[in-house]
Amino acid sequence: MEFLGLPLTTLLSIGAGAGALVVVAYILRLKRRPVPVHFVKLWERILREKEATSLFSQLKRILSLLLQLLLLTLLIFALGDPRSAAAIIEGRNLVVLIDASASMQATDGTPTRFESARQQARDLVRGMGGSDRALIVQMDATVTPLSTMTDEIPVLESAISSTRVTESRADFPRALRFALDSLVGLSNPEVVVISDGRLGVSQDAISLPLGEVKLSYVKVGQRDINAAITQFSVRRYPLDKSRYEVMIEVSNTSKEPLELELSLYGDDTLVDLTKFRVGPGENLPRFYPNLSGASRSLEARLTLANGERDTLPVDDHAYALLPERRRARIQCVTKGNTYLEAALLLDEYLDVTLVDPASYPVLGQQYDVTIFDNVTPDVAPGSGALFYVNPDGDRSPVKVGKGSLEGVGFDTWDKKSPLLRWTTIQNVNIATARKLEPKQEDKVIGASFDGPLLVMGRRAGKPFVAMGFDVRDSDLPLRISWPLLLLNTINEFVNEDTSYISSYRTGTLWRIPVAVDVSEANLETPWGAKQTIPVLQGHAVYLGQSAGVYRMTAGPPDASVQVAFAANLSDVQESTIAPLDSLEVAGKVAGPVEGFRVGVRREFWIYLLLGVVALTTIEWITYHRRITV
Amino acid sequence: MGFRAFIRRVSLPPPSIRGEDDLFDDEFQRKIEYLAIVSRRVFAGRMRAERRTRKTGSGIEFADHRDYVPGDDFRYLDWNVYQRFGRLLLRLFEEEEDLSIYLILDASSSMGFGRNKKIVYGKRLIAALAYIGLGNLDRVALVTTTDRVLGRMPSTRGKQRIFRVFQFLRETHADGTTDLAQALKVFVSQHKRRGLAVLVSDLYDPAGFENGINTLRFNKFEPFVLHLVDPSDASPPLRGDVRIYDCETGEEREVTVTPRVLQKYRQAYDDYLNEVQAFCTKKQVPYVQANIHVPFEEMVLRFLRRGGIVG
Repeated sequence: MEFLGLPLTTLLSIGAGAGALVVVAYILRLKRRPVPVHFVKLWERILREKEATSLFSQLKRILSLLLQLLLLTLLIFALGDPRSAAAIIEGRNLVVLIDASASMQATDGTPTRFESARQQARDLVRGMGGSDRALIVQMDATVTPLSTMTDEIPVLESAISSTRVTESRADFPRALRFALDSLVGLSNPEVVVISDGRLGVSQDAISLPLGEVKLSYVKVGQRDINAAITQFSVRRYPLDKSRYEVMIEVSNTSKEPLELELSLYGDDTLVDLTKFRVGPGENLPRFYPNLSGASRSLEARLTLANGERDTLPVDDHAYALLPERRRARIQCVTKGNTYLEAALLLDEYLDVTLVDPASYPVLGQQYDVTIFDNVTPDVAPGSGALFYVNPDGDRSPVKVGKGSLEGVGFDTWDKKSPLLRWTTIQNVNIATARKLEPKQEDKVIGASFDGPLLVMGRRAGKPFVAMGFDVRDSDLPLRISWPLLLLNTINEFVNEDTSYISSYRTGTLWRIPVAVDVSEANLETPWGAKQTIPVLQGHAVYLGQSAGVYRMTAGPPDASVQVAFAANLSDVQESTIAPLDSLEVAGKVAGPVEGFRVGVRREFWIYLLLGVVALTTIEWITYHRRITV
Repeated sequence: MGFRAFIRRVSLPPPSIRGEDDLFDDEFQRKIEYLAIVSRRVFAGRMRAERRTRKTGSGIEFADHRDYVPGDDFRYLDWNVYQRFGRLLLRLFEEEEDLSIYLILDASSSMGFGRNKKIVYGKRLIAALAYIGLGNLDRVALVTTTDRVLGRMPSTRGKQRIFRVFQFLRETHADGTTDLAQALKVFVSQHKRRGLAVLVSDLYDPAGFENGINTLRFNKFEPFVLHLVDPSDASPPLRGDVRIYDCETGEEREVTVTPRVLQKYRQAYDDYLNEVQAFCTKKQVPYVQANIHVPFEEMVLRFLRRGGIVG
């Protein structure tokens, strides 16, 4: 027999203190209450008989004291958590990974898989041995340890209660790596994964060496019936931004065909309602071309055709936002350039003002973009973003070197640049170009082997694009690339890019463009919480784990810029909710949890001790109040 | 203030019950007047101060002869006997005198103990008897005792003296230990004129109630015992381990009070009452057990009549 609970010295101290209390209570009980009577001689008549039974009364009292001391001894004994030597398990060190991914919102638990997982975790920590320690970790797109490695059951239960389910996939490899790192050097290491097994990545891809670490798996979830919106995207047509196109992909992750009903709402008004059948495991894309109207927000809702909800409601709706459409005010400072003017006519949402260089600047006017065609004047306030065509002189944002480049073309270009979206500048012939010498922070979009030709950057907080040649000295105007390059540049400047991301995917790092030069922005989440997020290189950075519509505000209060964007789960792997019966990591199959049972736990004896104290107190009071005597 | 004093203090009834100043209010006086009238009607012709005593004196009813001794009044010499027998004999007459009634109230602490104070009831009884006695032209004296004679109101007569009786009783409070024998020895030594001695007491005498009654008997008083009894005394509100102490003597005993013990106590209490009654019956002392929950006027009429004190 060994004691796994409190050490012997502590037990003796508690026993001495509690025993003294019991004896004091006993002595206090023996102190009789004085009561006056009319005539004590009458009592003497019966006291003569009573004396014969006083010995039994004394014995009863001593028996009562002995009984209480015996009860106390048993409680102290329980405090020590005695176990037979054969049953003693050396203390384990556990890392409990609680899956908080979107699939854990499936409603086949009590009431959800996540709640079932939390309950499993509670049962687990309550059944820990006296020398076991555990660390609670929430596993979603990130890894969040919620406690220290401790044996304090209340701390662990509090940590379990603080877990929150997300709408993103779980990053199991990262969580497992964290768990293995946490268990380095500890005895009897064990990782307990409480999950439905849908951990977002192929289990074969996890090749972390477990070593001596025992991997246990607690499965939650039962059903697999689920349909999901796995893609939802909207874009305006590049050359007709009054119209837009929607793409929705619906997936059936069940093992049986499902009759589904898909509703598309624009600004909370039903735009389209479709019923269709999707086979098991089938991904069904649906397109809605040539949609028009003033719709700003779009929402897709998916239900079973019989009106019921599937097992995972979180992936049955998706959101998208269209960029706000407004006329961009363009100032074109030129002596006359047919190619430039013709290209600007292609977008009916451009409000173009032609200004003679001699008349520049026009005071009191505000423009989104100013195009300097073969002129490089001092930039007046209110000119907005700047597009230089063939700049020259000291006022050029990019230093112009001496000499020129003759007979060059674009030999390299940034294919991912938004300026070159849907076009290419390959094989453009340029007769004469200036030698641009951009700064280190500037970005070269296109260049010949002899030097940069197209440069993008910022000066005094204002974005600019400098094209180092006159379009009329090239065959660029003869190509479709020219108007696309020009319109892409304007769209980039006014943040009305056709590459606008209509929705972000939860569980990934979002980079939201910010039009103003700030270091942080204020974000309002779909559930109304507000927080400040950093802005790096013109993009606000945020790891979002919830679907819905977010609103972001950046800049000073008097000139703040507001941006709204949507986020969706859009993850077919996460929507595949059939729970896995086993978990395999690096060829090692996770076993069931063992050695956890609710035995003589401290909280048990605490409650027991409190109960005994309460009972003793009640008995003591009622005895002296003459209620129980 | 000690714990015992505190217990004693909290065991006292509330002031509304304790207040004794209104014991003899108008209502009470109407009642005793009613009692006096009723007693006259019922016992008409026998209520005047015509009680014959064995004492010979200046009455007109011949009682006996005795030898003449020098100094006797010549007027009472029986010359007829001297003529016939040649002896000087003196004629004796029964002296007619009014009856002396001594109302003795036990004023020990036990009389004022508990919620139902026996002394309050006792005072009312005493006052009623005194009024009836005064109305019958008897000589009425009041005495209060503990282990000594606590207070005396000398013999008086006439109804108008009832207010003096009230005043005397108002000034009487229950405090002290009971020793009837000792107190009544003093009483008999202070009152040479024998008469009816009505003892109103709970008879909680540690030295024994018999000694007190015997003291009256042996000194030629006519004792009458009015035993005040509170039925709640038989069922004290006690439970569990307690240390009981006598409210008069402070004598302590430890006892564990259980329902069985309480039952035994009730039996002992009843035995005690029976003992008192048996003693009085045996010694031919009129005895009335006065339950303090019975209205005092009913007690005066019914029980005192049965006990023979009235008429």
